[in-house]
Amino acid sequence: MSETEESEGPIIRLKDVTIGYDPEDPLVDIPEMEVFPGEIVAIAGPSGIGKTTLLRTIAGLVSPISGSIEVCGGAPSSPPKRGELGYVPQKLGLVRHASVLHNVMIGANAGNKAPWALLPSSLARSKALEAISSMGLVDKIGEPVRRLSGGQQRRVATARALAQSPKLIMADEFLSELDEETMQMVLGSVIDYVRSSGSALLVVEHDISRAKSMADRLLVIDDGRINPFITEITAVEVKV
Amino acid sequence: MRAAINGPRMALAASMVILLSLVVLDGMVNDWGRLAGGFDNLVLFFHQSLWPPDWSVLEPQVYPVCTARAPFEFTCSTAWIGVIETIKIAFVSTVFGMILSLPLSLSAARNLSPKWLSYISRFVISGFRSLPSLIWAIFFVILIGFGPLAGVLAMSVYTVGYLGKLQYEAIEGLNKTPLEAAEAMGLSKMEMAFNVVIPESANDLISHAIFMFEYNFRSGTIIGIVGAGGIGYYIDLYLRFLQYDKVVAYLIIIFVVVLLIDFVSIYARSFFNDNDDLRRPTWLDVFVPEALKMGK
Ligand SMILES: Nc1ncnc2c1ncn2[C@@H]1O[C@H](COP(=O)(O)OP(=O)(O)OP(=O)(O)O)[C@@H](O)[C@H]1O
Ligand SMILES: [Mg+2]
Repeated sequence: MSETEESEGPIIRLKDVTIGYDPEDPLVDIPEMEVFPGEIVAIAGPSGIGKTTLLRTIAGLVSPISGSIEVCGGAPSSPPKRGELGYVPQKLGLVRHASVLHNVMIGANAGNKAPWALLPSSLARSKALEAISSMGLVDKIGEPVRRLSGGQQRRVATARALAQSPKLIMADEFLSELDEETMQMVLGSVIDYVRSSGSALLVVEHDISRAKSMADRLLVIDDGRINPFITEITAVEVKV
Repeated sequence: MRAAINGPRMALAASMVILLSLVVLDGMVNDWGRLAGGFDNLVLFFHQSLWPPDWSVLEPQVYPVCTARAPFEFTCSTAWIGVIETIKIAFVSTVFGMILSLPLSLSAARNLSPKWLSYISRFVISGFRSLPSLIWAIFFVILIGFGPLAGVLAMSVYTVGYLGKLQYEAIEGLNKTPLEAAEAMGLSKMEMAFNVVIPESANDLISHAIFMFEYNFRSGTIIGIVGAGGIGYYIDLYLRFLQYDKVVAYLIIIFVVVLLIDFVSIYARSFFNDNDDLRRPTWLDVFVPEALKMGK
């Protein structure tokens, strides 16, 4: 693959992928799915259909039952490289006993440092501070995460992903638990980052109208089939 | 198929086990008559040799000359010197043990390390735990001679075995999403250990270390008997001289110190709890067992 192809190629490419935890009982079939740099793609679908599982599979945390996955220009089925993927899990995955700054610094270090470096650099620190202020959490910076509200914790996880300066952000319901104003602030910062850096955003959003309003494309995972063993991804692509 | 647990069957099984234990015991004892004589012996022994305790163990030793002023002469007593030495041994071995057990338990935790590494580390940890600290103390006394250093080494080794197990179980009990988030970011195992695992399990780690110190003090009282330092040395000494009333005084002192350390440990550990809005125990809570407060 040549240099130019790599920079213009998709950030995520899935081909004939079947995901799930049990090969006997797969969750979703994805014949084809691509996400390009600068693009915002939303995934919607009923609860329990496998949206989170799809993100975890792309992140390399669950192996697909079959098919090939390429992320951030890496070889098929190799996990994304250090710092390239900013993941906001549905369950957040924060270090609850550590401070907001500590959590966001983890992301900033992942984006900036070689694996053996443990001490934070000043560049990482300024990235962390910037991400924290873009999420409106400056006054909580030293607070242990467990003492924050649900929506505040969600914003910490988002800040952690932004601080990585990743090529791809995957955010699982990252706008839940937020009031309209805060939601606009968080969404605005993330979209600004994606548009200005030419990275991509793949977001799981159960609220279809919100998904349509933020995304370039919407993929709906739909359990329309009678066959209980397989759920097709119906790529209902809505151009906005 | 596994039999379901039900009342009568459980009762039958329990009575069989108890019966079996009685048969085994009878096999080991050849003269039950000695038991009848035992109680009379105990009464006699108690009055002649054990009671009252000889509190002279709290008085300064004749030699070396005591330089402490009143009312601190007791700091020259064998009881004080012994207890303090046992506390020192327990403290140092808890710290040394923890320094060694933390890397071992991080590599033993299945959610952090590859299988082969976790098996090796578990093997080492349980190896250290398989012998009681008294046996380790005998071993180190043979190896490096009498004195507190043998005790420190023995209890450090045992601490690695015991604390290591507590630690890797705490680490394996961690919520897996923070580790997944770290993995998705591509963090190294070292970074995961330092930035995610240790901060997230810090409460458990500290609480276990305090518990281990308490445990080490208790087991540290015995290792002096084999010459590995601490108050056990004096107990052994007076046992040999058949001065049982002094031995009883030491035992009472140990009992009181163990109680104190237990209480302080319970109190200290209550600060390292996951629950932020937890009510701190009052000293009353610590000293009065829950069962006694039911009437309140
Ligand atoms: N670790 C796991 N092991 C086995 N099964 C799992 C695991 N995690 C989730 N599942 C199952 O996989 C299915 C899909 O779960 P998933 O979390 O992907 O749903 P989702 O679409 O994200 O739902 P929601 O909108 O409620 O978050 C569910 O039936 C769930 O029970
Ligand atoms: Mg989900």
